[in-house]
This record gives sequence, structure tokens and C-alpha cells, in this order.
Amino acid sequence: MDRRDFLRTCGTFIAAGAALSVGGALATKAKGRDGDVFWQIDPFACTQCGRCATDCVLPVSAVKCFHANKVCGYCDLCGGYYRPSVKDLNTAAENQMCPTGAITRKFVEEPYFEYTIDENLCNGCGKCVKGCTSFGNGSLFLQIQQDLCQNCNECEIAKVCPSDAIKRVSYDEAYKLKDHA
Amino acid sequence: MITVGLVVFYLIVLVGWHLYDPTRGFTEAVPGADNRPEGSARKADDVVIGEYFIKDEGDVAASELKGEWACFRGANHDNIAVNAQPMSLVKGDFKEMWSVETGEGHAAPVISEGKAYVLDYEEATSSDALRCFDLTTGKQLWKRRYRVPMKRNHGFSRTIPAIIKNNIVTIGPEGHVMCCDKVSGDMKWSIDMKKRFESEIPFWYTGQCPLIEDDVLVLAPAGKDTLMIGVDVNTGNTVWGTPNSVGFKMSHSSVMPMTLGGTHTYLYIGVGGVCGVSAEKGSEGQLLWSATKWQPSVVAPSPMQVSQNQVFLVAGYGAGGAMLQVSKSGAGWNASITDSYKASAGMSSEQQTPINYKGTLITILPKDGGGMRERLAMYSPSNLHNPIWTSAADERFGLGPYIIVDDKLFAFKEDGELYVYSVSAKSMSLIKKQRVMEEGIDAWGPMAYADGYLVMRDSKNIKCLKVFE
Repeated sequence: MDRRDFLRTCGTFIAAGAALSVGGALATKAKGRDGDVFWQIDPFACTQCGRCATDCVLPVSAVKCFHANKVCGYCDLCGGYYRPSVKDLNTAAENQMCPTGAITRKFVEEPYFEYTIDENLCNGCGKCVKGCTSFGNGSLFLQIQQDLCQNCNECEIAKVCPSDAIKRVSYDEAYKLKDHA
Repeated sequence: MITVGLVVFYLIVLVGWHLYDPTRGFTEAVPGADNRPEGSARKADDVVIGEYFIKDEGDVAASELKGEWACFRGANHDNIAVNAQPMSLVKGDFKEMWSVETGEGHAAPVISEGKAYVLDYEEATSSDALRCFDLTTGKQLWKRRYRVPMKRNHGFSRTIPAIIKNNIVTIGPEGHVMCCDKVSGDMKWSIDMKKRFESEIPFWYTGQCPLIEDDVLVLAPAGKDTLMIGVDVNTGNTVWGTPNSVGFKMSHSSVMPMTLGGTHTYLYIGVGGVCGVSAEKGSEGQLLWSATKWQPSVVAPSPMQVSQNQVFLVAGYGAGGAMLQVSKSGAGWNASITDSYKASAGMSSEQQTPINYKGTLITILPKDGGGMRERLAMYSPSNLHNPIWTSAADERFGLGPYIIVDDKLFAFKEDGELYVYSVSAKSMSLIKKQRVMEEGIDAWGPMAYADGYLVMRDSKNIKCLKVFE
């Protein structure tokens, strides 16, 4: 084999390998959307134990607080926003339940306020969810943010979840939401 | 050269360390970030009556059941229910239809068109909560609540709502009056008696149950200037008022309507005495008479009419009983106490209002009632000192409630055991008894009955039994 044939043969193999790699990756991605399973929290089984924030393999948990606006009562005295012993209903840090300030609220009309979760600040501790579930309509709930989740074979949170609320489900069920329940 | 370089390096690090602000990305969480309008600042303790509503799953549509027990002591204010159709007492043990947990307290239910309503107190949210249940299943259909932080004092909840047409009216333990649509739970109007009338809420909270007659809600705020008011139940507007010229304060007792000397009258035992206010068209709210000779410091039972011009008054904690005589005297009225005695000397009651059944008075004697303490007893109005019948020595009921349905008397021991007696005008005989609450505690709230269902409670649970079929 002369040098030219050698280079041509190598080029053919490299091109074929690249084509196979791209094809395989696409096939894997397509398979992932339709056939793979994803970790999901059942918000109706969740007891807001706080382990989602501490046991995820990510530095900041992939579990986030979601808000079902259809379920929300838009309460002024929101059990998810305010600490139980709050005295003044204002947005000062000492009154807020969320340790990271991830919940903001805006006045809509007397006596209603709209609540929004800042996903980047939320660490999935579930304190707001517990407050909302105990004292309100339960519109706040925990769910796994799929674009952050590493989809580990064995979810570290699922292993310690005391209410067995985390399960693997198919792609189309990945987000179990309260306002779609 | 190396030394100079190190000095420069450390100087740069030092300056950089001082200039670098690790909190530069932080946002300060301060009041006002929610655009709350100026002037609407609120403290958590500020009560907004009826603020929150939670609709549960379930059908709130009209039920086939049409029975009513729509207010304290029922439609005739006598604590006697009558089945519209002939029904038989269930043989054997009564079946428990449902049971629900409540906040600690003694508020009792009303029943209307297949729904049961109770003004509960939610300890977790420190809220008065009007809860609507399906009478047959106990499934909660909705609740409307408002935050009222308060301290436990023999529990929290106290009163019984009143229903007229589509309106349900409640009075909370701190004197908050709320009117809602009984089907949808929609808020209609509210009154804060403590704020508006400067009412002094009794030590064991407001026990006054709302009274509604002809679409007019009668309240006794017994405040600084106002003794009693009439409120249009459809609008919440005050339609008449009675100045508190007698200086009575709010008690745990409720306003009772009765016709005395031919005049329809609202009777109220306040702290300070008993009074009668005109309920006649054209003179509503006029103070007709008052009597201050009998004025216990704590009164829970309500006045009970005995004859055309006689009213039996009773209170616990050593007060005992009294007979009030009311008669017209020229253009005015004369009200006098004709008999008054300690609890151990005759018919008395600590918490429940007695029943006048076919001219015979039925009560549970109080704990200071001597040897017959806590027994069920019957008296003739002509002799309030010697009972004509008492329950057996082991049939003692504490502060438990009792109700008559047809000719059966249901008495509920305060530890949760239900006794059923056949009642006649001169005696009673025990038919059966059944434990309803395992380890029941302080079952003091009055019972409600309609359509064969008897609803009862202890301090933490409400249960419903099917007693007639």
C-alpha cells in the first residue's frame, strides 16, 4: 500500500466512524425521548421531608418547587411565603419562609398576591411546600427539573425518600403537576 | 527585585481583597418588594373575616334529603326534633356513618338539605373555619376560614351556625360574625363585634349562637353603647339597635325568642342581668324590661320559656336556677325574680339549656348539684326543687348534651357514650346505650338531628350515626 492509499483508507474509516457516531447519538437521543424512563416525584405522596435538597448528587438539587397557579388561592397571608410566627405581612427577609429568597410576590388586587418561584435560587428544601400544604391550597409542590436531572440509574433521593414518592416514569409522564392532576 | 515583586503582588491581593464585594449579586429583601399599596399594611393578627376559601372535590348540588336542624336548638328553639315522616329507632347498635377530626372545641353542627356545617377552629392555621360536609358521607365539600390567633381555653370553637334560605351565619369565638352562601360558600358580609361595638369577649370566648327570624339576624354584642342589634341577613345592614342603657356585658348565653304577655320578645341573659327586647314589628329593638336581681358572673345556658309569662333562668358555677316572671304593668312592664336557689336546691344546669317537653322540664344537673349531680332529671314547672324523675346513679352525663327526637331522648355522656331514653311527660326509661367515642373527652357541643342522622362531637371529633330509619 502506498502512502496515498493508506491516507485514503484512514480517511474512509474516520469518516465512517464519525457518521456512525453521529447516527448512534441521534438514535440514542430519539430513543431517550420515546423509550427511556425519568425520575419523577409524586407531589401527592411527597411529605416535604427536606431530603431532596440534601441527597441529590448535584451541588444544588435538581428538585425544584413548582407552582400550580390554578390551585393557588393568591392569599395575602401565604403559608408558603411567610414563616409561621410572622407578625408583619411584608417582604422583609425575616418574615420569609424560603431560606434562599426564591419566592417573590406581587400585589394583584386587594387582597390577592401572585407568587413566583425563581428556579435558580430554589434548592428544593420544600419548606414552602410544607407551609402551603398545611395552611393553604397546596399549590406549591416539589418536582424534578428534567433539564437539570442527571437521570442517574439509582437516584440518591429516591433511595432515602421516606414516602416512596420518587419513581421512574416514561417521558410523557415525567412532569406530574398539580394543576394537571 | 524578588522582594519588590512579592510586596507588589501582596499589595495587589490586599487591595483586590478590599475591593472585591462577594455580596454584589445579592438583593436585599426589604418590606415593600411586593408592590402592596400604601395604607394597606397588615399585621398577621389583623382579622379579615372569611378571607380564605377552599373548595374540595364533591357535589354541592341539592341533596334528596330535606331535613333541617338549621340553628341552635332547632327551628322551634326547643331542642326537640320531629321526623316529618314516621320513622323507627334503629334496632341494635347505631351505625357510624362517618367521623371527622376537628380542632379542639365544642362548636356544634347544623344540618340543612343533606349538608352538615360546623364553625371549626383550625389549630394549624389559627383560623375559624366554616366547614361544609355531605351529611351522608362526611366528605368535606368546602371550607371558608379566616385567621384569628387565640389561646386555648377549654379548646377554641364554641358556637352553632344559623341558616336561613341560602345564607349561613356564624359567630366565631372572638365575636366575628360571618355570612356565606350555604351552597357555594361565597362570602356575603361580616361584622367584627369586638371592633364595631367594643364588646368585651367573655373569658371562655363567645358562646352566643346567631338567631335569625324573618331574615333578620339578632345579635347581642352587649358592647359599650349597644346591647342588641337586628341585621338584614341578605345585606348585612343594621335594621334596628338597642342602646345598652342597662350596661350589660356579653355572656356565653344566646338570645332566645319567645312570646311573653302576648308580646314577641328577644330575651338575653347578659353579665349584669336579664332583659327583654321587643321583636314586634314597628317597635323592634325597644328595651321592654330588665331584671338585675339575678346576675351570675358566668352564664352559658340560654333562657327557657315555661309559661306565657314565666322564664326559667339557669347558670353554673354555683349560681343555680331562678324563675323570672314578666307581666305588663300599665304602659310598661314588670319583670321580677320569683324564685332563686343554689344548684344543690333544685333544677339547674351548668352549660346546656334545659328542654321543656310537654310542660315538663328536663335537665342534666351540674356538678355542684348535690347527690344528684350530673344526672338527667325531670321537673314540674310548679316545683323546681324536687325532681319527678332522675336517671340511675350510674347514668351521670357531666356537661354532655341532650336532644329529643319524636319521643326519644338522646343524652350524650361527656366521655362519649350515647344513652337513649323513651320519654313521656312524667318519666323516662332507658332503651339502650352505645359507646360512640372511644376515650371521648369533653363531649359538650349540642347534637344536631335531621333525616335519621344524629351528629355529635367530643372535643376533637365529630361523628354521625344513623339513629332512625
